[in-house]
Amino acid sequence: MGAKAAKDPVPRASIPLNPVFNWSVGNWMEVFYDGLREGKIMGSKCPACGRVSLPPRMICERCFVKAEEWVELPSTATVQACTTASVKVAENGDLVDLDAPEIIAMVKHDGADTCIAARLEGKEAAVGTKVEAVIDTGAENVLDLLASYKAVG
Amino acid sequence: MDKEVAIIAYAQLPYEADNNMSREVMVLKATRAAIEAAGLKREDLDTVITANNDYNDGRTISNMRLVEPAGSWHKNESKVEMDGTFGVLYALTRILSGDHDIALVVGESQASVYGGILPGIMMLDPTFDRQRWLLNEVSAAALQASAYMAAAGVSAEQIAAVAAKNLDNAALNPFALRSLKGADAKKVLASRPLYSPITELMTAPRCDGACAVVMASAKAAAKVEKPVWIKGVGFSHDSYVTERSLDSMGSLKLAADACYRQAGIEDPASQIDLAEVHECFAHEELMAYEALGFCEPLQGGVFFDSGATRLDGKLPVNASGGALGANAEYATGLARIIEAAMQIRGDAGRHQVKGVKTAVAHGQTGICAQENIVYVLGGE
Repeated sequence: MGAKAAKDPVPRASIPLNPVFNWSVGNWMEVFYDGLREGKIMGSKCPACGRVSLPPRMICERCFVKAEEWVELPSTATVQACTTASVKVAENGDLVDLDAPEIIAMVKHDGADTCIAARLEGKEAAVGTKVEAVIDTGAENVLDLLASYKAVG
Repeated sequence: MDKEVAIIAYAQLPYEADNNMSREVMVLKATRAAIEAAGLKREDLDTVITANNDYNDGRTISNMRLVEPAGSWHKNESKVEMDGTFGVLYALTRILSGDHDIALVVGESQASVYGGILPGIMMLDPTFDRQRWLLNEVSAAALQASAYMAAAGVSAEQIAAVAAKNLDNAALNPFALRSLKGADAKKVLASRPLYSPITELMTAPRCDGACAVVMASAKAAAKVEKPVWIKGVGFSHDSYVTERSLDSMGSLKLAADACYRQAGIEDPASQIDLAEVHECFAHEELMAYEALGFCEPLQGGVFFDSGATRLDGKLPVNASGGALGANAEYATGLARIIEAAMQIRGDAGRHQVKGVKTAVAHGQTGICAQENIVYVLGGE
């Protein structure tokens, strides 16, 4: 592909596009965020099959009914999958190196059937590790309420 | 399906990090080459399907400016905002309706235009995951790999060896963007670490590119040399990424099972001669072996170690180098169909495998292959 460099480049226009979307988080996620504010972990439960979703989901994909029962779940969870991140996503979409590696995991709360993707404290993790949620009830942004997870004990 | 719809021609452009073309020129080159290869003219097309993405392209209704280069002016036209393999499904059903004889499907994108992996992040739930900046296509795939490795006892070395195989095969494919002749697992593991176990060379490099296929009804295909028949298709949709088990590809298995029923395949490992799979990451190829029924569940690593899927094995997988060789999104899976058809016709050049009569082609869309589609293709 060395010959490419010799071609005249096509003219380009770099045009920024910064749309702001005012999504509703929906009634179910509102219960989730309000619960975290009080230190509670609220999952939704399908009345038909009993599947518990965390974060909560309004509709059970399997039964096609409203998952309108609520359960408060314990803060303990199990690591289903984990990865050591050497990079993060920069604003322009490039992957840039992190100064120190971070652990990202899929954790499944005891009593839940779905996972949360979360940051794990510490430097190592393995599938099967028991962890517990670190909730920062004072966080300004609701997205920071469920701050991270740390190993139990 | 028995000789109802055929692939009669195709074209790919060389995949490049930046192909230095406007999108319209790129699409025109691919569609014109495919139409010419079919011995047809624009006027002969009954229906046109484009596969692309508004977000990658940066405009709503990203097919609006493809009316000229896709040859779709005043024609029955649609687009799928998914991989081109789903565009082929669309074309297939239109031809089977009996209303159309000739269909053109084009898949395309230009990673050089926008945003690294940002388009993929837009697939995440905006009310939670997207705003936490932990998941993206690569980190989610790393979690998928982690779950699979724990369940199947697969090692990072085995995953790296899959990448090495594909990158070595890609050295024989003139269209490939990334290739490494004689690559080994060590070299793959030594490439830039991203999210463990994934290193740079285990990822499908997003790039610029387009490819197109021309499909025909049995009537229209009767005049064509070496038609490649679609013998079966199956597709399935799975849960959102955090709400399913990541240690297997459930929707790919459902897609494959449905496809094989249609194609009369009872023992894929012996009846399939070659497969082109849409592996966005090397470990997904191992998972695909299982879901496609080439080996038992959780035996993907063992099956790979047997050498069966190498270029000289009994069931070569990704002789072209697969998506690890080039990943022009929305064209990547469509290119798997083209590569499988090339193998059946004996037109694959330096990566031609001998005696390919029946081949599988796979396409996927979504984070961690949320949606999958499988085709069985066959010659005369």
